Amino acid sequence: MSGTRRWLLYLTLLLALALVGVPGVAQGQAVKNPDTLIYAHAGDHDSLDPAWQYDTLSSGTTLWNVYETLIFFRGISVGDYVPLLAKQVPSLQNGLISADARTFTFPIDERARFSDGTPVTPEDVKYSLMRFMLMDRDGGPSWILLSTIIGEDTTRDKDGNLKPDIYDKINRAIQVRGNNVVITLHRPYAPFLNIMASWSMVISKKAAIAKGDWDGTKAGVARLNNPKTNSDTKLFDGAIGSGPFVIERWDRQNKTVVLVRNERYWRGNPPALRRVIFRTVEEFATRRLMLQQGDADVIDVGRAEQSQVEGLAGVRIVDDLATFVTQALFMNLKINAEGNPYIGSGKLDGNGIPPDFFSDVHVRRAIAYSFDYATFARDAYRGKITLGNGPIPRGMFGYNPRGQWYTTNRDRAIAEWREAWGGRVWDQGFKMTVLFNSGNTARRIASQILKSNLEALNPKFKVDTQGLAWSTYLAQENEGKLPIYFLGWAADYADPDNFVYPFMHSNGTFTGAQSYKNPEVDRLIEEAQRTANPERRRQSYFRLQEIAYSDVPTIYLGYPTGFTVMRTWVRGWYWNPIFFVPTGYLYTLSKGQ
Amino acid sequence: MLTFILRRLLLLPLVVLGTTILIFALTQLLSPAMRASLFVRDANQMRDLPAIVRKYGLDRPFYEQYGTWLRGVLRGDLGYSFVARQTVAEAIRGYFPMTVELTVLSFGLIVGVGIWLGTLSAVHKDRWIDHLSRVLSIAGTGLPTFVWGLALLLLFYGILPWFPPGRLSLEADLFVHSDQFRRYTGMMTVDALLNRQWWIFWDALRHLVLPSLTLAYFIAAVLVRVTRSSMLETLRQDYVRTARAKGLDEPTVIRKHARRNALIPVITLSSLVLVGLLSGAVITETIFDLPGIGRWGAQAAAQLDIAAVTGFALFVAVLTVLGNMAADILYALVDPRIRY
Repeated sequence: MSGTRRWLLYLTLLLALALVGVPGVAQGQAVKNPDTLIYAHAGDHDSLDPAWQYDTLSSGTTLWNVYETLIFFRGISVGDYVPLLAKQVPSLQNGLISADARTFTFPIDERARFSDGTPVTPEDVKYSLMRFMLMDRDGGPSWILLSTIIGEDTTRDKDGNLKPDIYDKINRAIQVRGNNVVITLHRPYAPFLNIMASWSMVISKKAAIAKGDWDGTKAGVARLNNPKTNSDTKLFDGAIGSGPFVIERWDRQNKTVVLVRNERYWRGNPPALRRVIFRTVEEFATRRLMLQQGDADVIDVGRAEQSQVEGLAGVRIVDDLATFVTQALFMNLKINAEGNPYIGSGKLDGNGIPPDFFSDVHVRRAIAYSFDYATFARDAYRGKITLGNGPIPRGMFGYNPRGQWYTTNRDRAIAEWREAWGGRVWDQGFKMTVLFNSGNTARRIASQILKSNLEALNPKFKVDTQGLAWSTYLAQENEGKLPIYFLGWAADYADPDNFVYPFMHSNGTFTGAQSYKNPEVDRLIEEAQRTANPERRRQSYFRLQEIAYSDVPTIYLGYPTGFTVMRTWVRGWYWNPIFFVPTGYLYTLSKGQ
Repeated sequence: MLTFILRRLLLLPLVVLGTTILIFALTQLLSPAMRASLFVRDANQMRDLPAIVRKYGLDRPFYEQYGTWLRGVLRGDLGYSFVARQTVAEAIRGYFPMTVELTVLSFGLIVGVGIWLGTLSAVHKDRWIDHLSRVLSIAGTGLPTFVWGLALLLLFYGILPWFPPGRLSLEADLFVHSDQFRRYTGMMTVDALLNRQWWIFWDALRHLVLPSLTLAYFIAAVLVRVTRSSMLETLRQDYVRTARAKGLDEPTVIRKHARRNALIPVITLSSLVLVGLLSGAVITETIFDLPGIGRWGAQAAAQLDIAAVTGFALFVAVLTVLGNMAADILYALVDPRIRY
C-alpha cells in the first residue's frame, strides 16, 4: 500500500470512528456555561440609548433589565401593574390620579439605586422623561410621550425647526414635588399608565452628563434634538440604569451585546445569571447547531423553520404565546396613479383598475369574502394564528370575541362582485397587482392565496403578485401607490388605542396612505382616549369593530401567536405579550438541570 | 518597473473616482422616499419619511449629494454606515482584520493545494491521482459554497464538536475583552501570539479551520484545473523536451522548466482570488458567523446603506488595482522575458 493510500485509509477510519463513537452531544449534556445565558438572534441592535431605541431587539435587551420604569406589569398581565421605581401605582383610589384623570403622581422609592450605587431621585426621573421627549429623532419613539403628555407629536415645526416653547411645555408638564414626580397630561388619556410601564425608562442624570450628554437645560436642547445618526447620541452604547443588569459592552464588530449582573441590585438579591449575551447569528442553520451544542440557550426561529427544532434533545419549545400583532390586507381607496405599474391601464376596462377602484364598498367586501382564511392560517402560519375581526388583537382589552367578521364565501363574494361598480367589474373584469414585502413568507403566501381565490371566481379577473424590497415597499405605500397590500402592526404599548388609531383614525399611520376617513371613527377613538371608564371605552372599541366590519377598508387577517425555542435547562422563564424578545425578563432566569 | 508602478498608482484615484460616481449614480435610480426608508424599521415609523428626506438632503440634485460625499472623503470622512452602527472608516478597520486572517489561511491553502495538485495531476495525466484530482476539482467547482460550508459545519460542529462557528469561544472572548489582553492588530491569532496567550491562539485558529477549508476547497478546485491545463501545455513545449534530453532529472524539469513557465495564468487567477478573498467571502462569513468585511458589504447593499456601499466599493477598487499591480510585478519575476 502506498503512503498516500495508507493516509487516506487512516483518515477514513478516523472519521468513521468519530461518527460512530461520539454520540449526539445534546443527550444528557451537562449545563453548559451555567451562569451565562446566550441568546442567538437574527437581527442587530440599533442603539442602547433609551431615547433612541425603537427596534424590538434593543428595547428587549435593555428595558427592565438595564433601565427600569416607574411601574411594571404584574406577571403575565398587560393591564395590571406593580410598582417598580415608584412606590405605588397611581390610581383614583389612592389619590395619585387626580379627579379629572389628568395628573399622575409617582412617589419615587427612596431605596432605589442605580448600578453605580447612587440613589434614583425624582430629578433623574424627570430628566429621563424629558430627554426621551426632547431627543425626538425622526422615526423614533418620542411621539409616544409627546402626544400623550403635551398633545403634540413632534418637537419640530413643519420646516423642521425646534419649536421655541417645547422645552417649557414639557418642563411644566413634568414636575418634581418633594419625592414625587407629577405628570400633568394635556387631556385625560386612558392608556397612560400602560405607556409608563413600558416607556418611562430612568437613567442616571449625573452619569449621562458626565458622559457629555444633555445637561438638562433649555439651551442644550438644540444639540440633543433629532441627532443625525444613532451614534451621535452620547448614550449610544448605553447609560447607567437601576436594573438587575449592567451593560458590559456592545461589540459592534462581532454584533454582540453583553450584560453583566448588577451585584448591588436594589430590589433584593442579584440575578442568578452572571452574564447574558445577545449575539447576532444570521444563519438559521448555525443558530440551530449552536442550540443543539448548548452554545446558545435561546434562539430565534421562524415559523417556517419550526419543524427543524422540534424533537431536538434538550430543547424546549413554548408555543402559542400571545403577541400583540395584527396582520392585515389594506385596500387603497384613492390610488396614486402617477407612473403606477400596479393598476394596469388605470381604467375599468378589463386590463386594469381605476384609482378609486376600492372606494366602492362592494369591491372591498367582495375581496373579504373571496379570501380563503383557513388556507392562509394553515399555509402561512402553520395554523398558529387567531383569525382577525378588527384591529385590536385577541387578549387585549377592547377585543370583541363575538365581533362579526367575514368568512370565505364564494356565493356572497360573487354577489358583491356583481354589485360592484354597477356590475361592470363582474362583466369586464380587472387586472391589478397584490403586493407584499419580499422576504416575508407569510405575506407572499397570502398574496398567492388571494390571487388564486380571485382568479377562480371569474376568468376575467387577472391578479399579479409582486414582492418589493422593504425600502421600496414602505416608500411606495407612503406615496399611495400600492393598490392592495399586506402589512402588520406590533404594539408600542398594550392598549387598544395603539391599534385603532393607526388602523382607523384619519390621522393614523395606515389610513393616510389608504385615504380612509370616517368622522364617527375619529370621534369614537378620541372619546375612548379621554375616558377613564373602562366600560365606556370597551363600548367604543366594540362599536369601532362594527365599523371596521361594515366599512372594511382593511381586512384584518389575524393575530399570530409566537413561540420560543430554548434549552430545557433555562429556568424561571415566563412570557408577557408586551415583552419584545423571547428571553423576556432576565431577572427571573437561571440555568440548571 | 518603478515607472510602471508609479503609473499604476497614479491611475488609482481615477479608478476610485469612476467607481464611486457609478455607485452613486445607481443609487439615484431610487426615489428619495425609497432611500429615506432605509432609516425606517417598521410601519410605526412611516409617518416620518418626508422629514427624513429633508433631513438628509435626499431630494437634492445628484451632483450636490455626490459633491457633499466627495468633500467628506477628502477630509477623511467616508460617511456613516447604518448597518455597522459606526462610521464607514471604523467599519472597514473593524471588519478587515478578520477577513485578512481568513484570507491568509485560505489563500495559503488554495495556492499550495492548487499548484501542487494541479502539477501532480498534469505530470501523472490519466493516472489515478489525475482522476482523483479532477473529480475533486469538479465537485469543488460544482458544489455551492453554502452546501459545502454547511456540510462541514454539520459534521465538525453538529456531530463532532471540534470546530465551532464564531470567532472565539465564550471563555476566550471574555478573556480578550478583559484588561489582561491587549489588542494590536485586530487579528485574533496575531494578537494572541503577541500577548503570548497560546490558548487564545489555538481557540482563534480552531474557529478559522472550517471557513478556511470551505473557501479553500471551492477556489482551489478552480486553481487545480487551471494549473493542470497550463502544465499540460507547458510539458509539450520543445524546451521541456530539450531539458529532458540534456539528462536533467524529472523533478528539476518539472520544477524549474515546466512549472515556472506554467505559472503565468495561475498568478493571474491567484491575484483575482486574493482580491476576492480580501473583499470578503459573504456566504462563508455568514455561515460561520464571522465578522468579516464581505458580510458587512453584502448587508449594506441589501439594506441600501449608501455610504457603506460606496465606501466598500472604493475599498475594493483600491484592492483590485493593487492586486493587479502585484500580479504584473510577479509576472516579471517569474518570466524574465516580461519587462515594463
